[in-house]
Amino acid sequence: MANTVIGSSIVIDGEISGDEDLVIQGTVKGKISLRESLFVEGSGVVEADIETQNVEIAGRVTGNIQASDKVELKADCRVVGDVKAPRILIADGASFKGNVDMDVKER
Amino acid sequence: MAAKDLVASGNTVIGPSILISGKLTGDEDLTVRGRVEGELSLTKTLIVEPSGVVKANVTVKNAVVSGVVVGNIQASESVELTHEGRMVGDIRAPRVIIVDGASFRGRVDMGELPPGRTLPERSTPRTQLRPTVRSLPPPPPRPATAAARPGATGATATASAAARKPGGMPGIVRTEARTPPPAPPTPPVVAAGAKKKVVLKKRK
Repeated sequence: MANTVIGSSIVIDGEISGDEDLVIQGTVKGKISLRESLFVEGSGVVEADIETQNVEIAGRVTGNIQASDKVELKADCRVVGDVKAPRILIADGASFKGNVDMDVKER
Repeated sequence: MAAKDLVASGNTVIGPSILISGKLTGDEDLTVRGRVEGELSLTKTLIVEPSGVVKANVTVKNAVVSGVVVGNIQASESVELTHEGRMVGDIRAPRVIIVDGASFRGRVDMGELPPGRTLPERSTPRTQLRPTVRSLPPPPPRPATAAARPGATGATATASAAARKPGGMPGIVRTEARTPPPAPPTPPVVAAGAKKKVVLKKRK
C-alpha cells in the first residue's frame, strides 16, 4: 500500500497534493488537496484548508474542510473551521467549532 | 520492496503520487517517492527513492539519492548518489559518495580534509613541481649575462626546445618552450581531484 505518512516530528509549510491516502502525524500548514483519504492522527496538527474525498480526524485541525464523500470527527479531535461534505460524522467527545454544510441538494 | 516498506514504516514517507511544495522540516528519516519542491531540512536521513523527485535546497544529516534531486544538498555527514541517482546542484558534505552509474552535475565541497590524511601527500608534489616550473623561467636573468653572445643562448634555447618538441619551427618552438611551464600547474589540480576519489573508494 503506497501510503504517505507525515511523521510526528515533520513540519510542512506549504502545499500538499496527490492521488493517494495521506496520514498526518506531524504538522502541516498551508493547503492539502487529495483525491483519496486524509487521516489526521492524534499527534497530527493541521492548519490548512483541506480538500479531499474522505477525512478522518483524531488530531487538531484549523481550517476549512471540504470532502466529496465523508468527514469524520473522532473522539478527542479538535476542529475549528467550516466543514462541507455530503456525510459528516461527529463522534462523542469531539470538539468542533464552525459551520456544517452537508450540501443537501434540494430537488 | 516489502522489506524496504517495513524499514520505512514508522518514518515519514512521501508517496509516489504526492506533491509537496513549500517548506518541510523534521527530526526523523524521510523517504521521498513522490515530489518535494521548495525547502527541505531534516536532522536525520533523507532517502530519495527511484520514483522520487526533489527540487529543493536540502539540509540534512545524511542523504541517499536514488531518484532525482535538483538543488543544493548540504549534509552534516554524508551524501550518497546511488547507481540510479541523478542530481544537478552542489553538494556540501564531509563525505560524498558517488557510485558508478550515478549522474551528477554540480560542485562538490567536502570542506576541510581531516588532518594528516591526504593533505601532506598532496602538498609535497605541489612543492616539488613548482620549483621545476620556476627553474625554467630563470633564463630571463641569464640573458643579462649572456647578452654579450645572444647567438649562444639562442642556440641552447633552440637546442633544449628541439629536445623537448622535435620537428617544430625554431621560432615558434622557442615560445612553445616557454608556454609548457604554465601547463604543469594544472596537472597537480587534476591529480588532487583524482586522489580525492581514490580516498572515497578506500572509505567504501
